[in-house]
Amino acid sequence: MPRTWMHAKPMATNPSFMNGVPELLILRTLEASEMYGYELVQTIRAKTNQAISLGEGVVYPALHALEREGMLKSRRKLVNGRTRVYYSVTRKGEKHLAGLVRHWQHITDAIGLAIGGTAHAAITL
Amino acid sequence: MLQSRFNRLSERLLHAGIAPRHVRRYARELGDHFDDLAREEKAGGATRELAETRALSRLGNDDALADAMLSRPELRSLTSRFPWAVFGIGPIVLLALSIVGALYLEFWLLNHTGGVFRYWTGQPPGPVTAKLATRIYTVYNTLIIYGGPLLFAWLFYRIGSRQRMPAKWIMLGVVLVCILGGFQNLIFYDKGYVGGGVLLVQSDLIPPFSHFAEHIARAAMNLAIAGGVWWLSAKRKASHAMVFSRTA
Repeated sequence: MPRTWMHAKPMATNPSFMNGVPELLILRTLEASEMYGYELVQTIRAKTNQAISLGEGVVYPALHALEREGMLKSRRKLVNGRTRVYYSVTRKGEKHLAGLVRHWQHITDAIGLAIGGTAHAAITL
Repeated sequence: MLQSRFNRLSERLLHAGIAPRHVRRYARELGDHFDDLAREEKAGGATRELAETRALSRLGNDDALADAMLSRPELRSLTSRFPWAVFGIGPIVLLALSIVGALYLEFWLLNHTGGVFRYWTGQPPGPVTAKLATRIYTVYNTLIIYGGPLLFAWLFYRIGSRQRMPAKWIMLGVVLVCILGGFQNLIFYDKGYVGGGVLLVQSDLIPPFSHFAEHIARAAMNLAIAGGVWWLSAKRKASHAMVFSRTA
């Protein structure tokens, strides 16, 4: 069963291509500030110019798994009378993110060269 | 409607072995996410019905929501991954630890409560304080050997039913703890002189089987009580489910 919970154009049907992308996007987005699920999904949609639209409800298993692996930590916070679960990146998560970013930059550089362009793969979420 | 949908999803995930804490949190987060989406759609001019329909569609269908969780085996509970360890070995380990713990505490109390008995009785160590100490520690021992197995039987029932485990596993844990617990014994008596206290821990599952019939009766009593509580609980759950299905 693929773990992909997002649909990118045009690679949505290639789960192996998307392996590691959810983690990368979540960690990168949460690195800037702590967020709750809805906020996180909307931020990723906006920052990727909706090229990657998330299956919104299914972001939570990824968050739970990352928290279980110690990449994220969560805390409950009362906002406007509602209790939200806010997620933020841990030190371990930051290290993991650095590795993921290096890996993806390497891949996008390689693809950029292969399709004839120049290698420019800065991930600027 | 939304609540019954999340209840169905939760049941599906629990039956598949996802840890109850993840399931509860997932359902709560999905509920909050749905509220946010519906609010966003309403703010964009949609009617309430349309906003909720769109919110549900954006949230994902039941299969997608379940698959996302089920594709992560690390979110499964220990109970569902190792039922043989929890319900097969767990009762033995738990009973052994409880007896060792109770024995340790009793030993510590015996060494530190001599002054209390002297204060209560107004007498130095002797037959009077020995009688009082024996009575008090007999009550403690009785609570441990009678109450412990029943408490653990309830614990195994609770763990198993929360995870929607098959009844055979829960039954294994409950039966083991009731039977093994029925055969353990903790005895204290004081002979009335300093250093004359006797603290014994016994199991009649090993020779010489001196009180075998008595322990069989205690195991049967444990089983009868645990079975009775189980039956009552199942009956209550069935009536709740009936009310729920009528209101859903």
